[in-house]
Amino acid sequence: MKPLRSSADVSALPSVTFGPRSLMWWGTLGFMTIEGWTTALLVGSYLYLRQNYHGWPPLRTPNPSLLIPSINLALMLVSIVPAWMVARAGKRLDEAAVKKWLVISSIVSVPTLVLRWYELWALNTRWDTTAYGSAAWTIVGFHTSLLLLDICDTIGLAIFFHAKKLPIKACSDAADNSFYWYFTVGIWVPIYLIVYVGPRIF
Amino acid sequence: MSNLPVAQLLVEADVAREAAALDATWRDKSGVWGWLCAVEQKTIARRYIITTFLMFLAGGMEAALMRLQLARPENALIGPDRYNQLFTVHGTTMMFLFAVPMMQAMGLYLVPLMVGARSIAFPRLNAFGYWNYVVGVVFLYVSLFINMGPDTGWTAYVPLSGPAYSPGHRVDVWAQVVTFTEISALCGAVNLIVTVFKMRAPGMSLNRIPVFVWAQLVVAFMIVFAMPAVATGSTLMLALDRAVNTHWFNPAEGGDALLWQHIFWFFGHPEVYIIFLPAIGMITPIVETFCRRAVFGYTAMVMANITTAFFAFGLWVHHMFATPIPELGQSLFTAASMVIAVPTGIQIFCWIATLWGGRPRLTVPMLFVLGFLFTFINGGITGVMLASVAFDKEAHDTFFVVAHLHYVLIGGGLMPLFGAFYFWFPKLTGRLLNTALGKLHFWLFVIGTNVTFFPMHILGLNGMPRRIYTYAETTGWGTLNMLATVGALTIALSVLVFLINAVRSWFSGEHAGDNPWDAAGLEWATTSPPPSYNFVHTPVVRSRHPLWETTVEQPVVTGLRSDRREILLTTTFDAQPDSRHVGPDGSIWPLYVALCMGLLFIGSIFSPYSVLAGIGISLIGLFFWGWQSTQDVEVERVALPDGRMVDRL
Repeated sequence: MKPLRSSADVSALPSVTFGPRSLMWWGTLGFMTIEGWTTALLVGSYLYLRQNYHGWPPLRTPNPSLLIPSINLALMLVSIVPAWMVARAGKRLDEAAVKKWLVISSIVSVPTLVLRWYELWALNTRWDTTAYGSAAWTIVGFHTSLLLLDICDTIGLAIFFHAKKLPIKACSDAADNSFYWYFTVGIWVPIYLIVYVGPRIF
Repeated sequence: MSNLPVAQLLVEADVAREAAALDATWRDKSGVWGWLCAVEQKTIARRYIITTFLMFLAGGMEAALMRLQLARPENALIGPDRYNQLFTVHGTTMMFLFAVPMMQAMGLYLVPLMVGARSIAFPRLNAFGYWNYVVGVVFLYVSLFINMGPDTGWTAYVPLSGPAYSPGHRVDVWAQVVTFTEISALCGAVNLIVTVFKMRAPGMSLNRIPVFVWAQLVVAFMIVFAMPAVATGSTLMLALDRAVNTHWFNPAEGGDALLWQHIFWFFGHPEVYIIFLPAIGMITPIVETFCRRAVFGYTAMVMANITTAFFAFGLWVHHMFATPIPELGQSLFTAASMVIAVPTGIQIFCWIATLWGGRPRLTVPMLFVLGFLFTFINGGITGVMLASVAFDKEAHDTFFVVAHLHYVLIGGGLMPLFGAFYFWFPKLTGRLLNTALGKLHFWLFVIGTNVTFFPMHILGLNGMPRRIYTYAETTGWGTLNMLATVGALTIALSVLVFLINAVRSWFSGEHAGDNPWDAAGLEWATTSPPPSYNFVHTPVVRSRHPLWETTVEQPVVTGLRSDRREILLTTTFDAQPDSRHVGPDGSIWPLYVALCMGLLFIGSIFSPYSVLAGIGISLIGLFFWGWQSTQDVEVERVALPDGRMVDRL
């Protein structure tokens, strides 16, 4: 082995970074890509099945109701605000504000999960009635798993922040959690349009 | 950034002290608990390599049993039901439990070393992926031994695999095994992408990344886009159709059987390249090393890799030519299937040019490269034949297709892999494999492969369908089948020779030293086997072939702490030092969560309610995983998004 010669000392580099400079951000982006793509494949399959029917929704199946899904969509869009505040506080290393907004974020996001239950039934069909119902339930059900995971992550972070003094890196993690929440809400918008509004159009 | 005087020579005693401190920090804990909690990158990768190789042996034994059954007409060694399970588990094992995870495992071991990193981006996620894979392996083989092995082929076509034609739980086993392997592959892919993007040694800009690392990066992206398709098909469609009566594939209720084929092959065709591209990546450093020259056309090779990956997603319909696909679609996919031969051809010509301009040494790894060229080109040619709709319809579901896919996968995947074993075995173990046994292995393997699979082309053209457990004597297929069986036993003998060689060499082989081949990659810049922390000091890269530079000293960066698991992160394009990242310690929670997910998916076969229980206990595990991930509180230097730098507790 050749003798080693130091060409630079990196001890002064930061050990906490945000966004694309941090590993966690890239990891989060990777899983967002996987989950987003899975959703796209499900939606593509839903539309593929459309060609097997004369009407959409099929005969004797009512259109999905719009009231609860629209309320939940609005709530989800509103929930972006506390998530954004968490990220902003995290990026300022304001731990007190992170704590506060994580709690608010949890409080605002939990009802979206409760409403999701009613939203599933607002499809006005069962998963085992027709392929149309199967596809709609699977798409909404898959998104529910993403919703559940991120809400648990938010609540978990809120507990961690309140339970003990965390390393300052946790501020970056909190910002990444918000990043994932934007994705969870963002991907719901096309699902809402296609699964709930779409049958009225095509 | 630099506190040290530039170009300070490091004293050997200081380096040794630093190495001891790093070892104490990075080494996994000993004992059974330490073994279960291990997250060290090479430990996990070694486990992957060993487990996947065991799967190769299992899949090989299933193949040998099938060949014995087919050796003569109307043989009664294995009945039709067991035969169905054998060919299904053989295909599932080789594709899902051997080929893809083995190629990825090689990347998980070698990529961090090749890019000069101390570890992988997410070690706990890596361990979680491995344990998930193990759950899938155990589930499949326990099922096989209790006569619950899947029996509808590795492609699990509906309606055969649907609830109407496959009652019981055999197909459910297949669907969930696929789920486990997909989760595992996706964890590995994200890990490799982030490692390559953010953890390369300073100076390793995009145009200096080794070809093997490029191949692993491209394949990781392919996995991200291909694996969700089969996971969607198996877990979110087929398993639900079977468990809770959804109708994705039930035409009576508006479902569509062809949808399965679209979804499956959208994954299935890229899958071939997910196996083939890492193999291509393995060939390049072997050819470079034994020709003692840089590969001809580095940029063309990398671009060909990327192009192949793009085309690979546009070919899936050529597996469906026997279905009612519109004629325009058939023509389009025929053209695409032929076009993909172009980037592969570019790579083959680049290797030939490298061989031509160099003075190749015919070592065992090189022999396997030559074996690859011969075998894979044969498989490629029959692939171009099958891309023609007219011929495909004639040969569809015959042994011609079996011959083609084995020529491609053995030639394009297994031969480079064996070459890679001989090439990197010294790095993994510190010892060389025996050359004489290696040459015997090679010749038996090449002869066995061709004796097994070449006759299958003729059998297929003579009309022998695939997946039949026997045939009548009047067909006249007996002689060629017997020949194929002799070939299969020759392959088995060759693998036995390799096993003996590997075990013998591991314990008593010739010591290899750090760089026995005088190779150029960074993985050879550390000891063999590498220490838990990979490199005492992160190397600095100034060319594509760092160890072939004529400088007398190795430039490195200093300043990473040795009392915690610090890793240097660099910028994505130019690999400039950017920040320090603190990696996690060992943890039991990846194993716990993998077991909980096992309960979730396996339980879902028997009762949908087990999904709720599985989610609940998985979330508890994830909570503690997160809790344990929080490192010690101390003053850290923080780079704020606005560019300011502050020190904060």
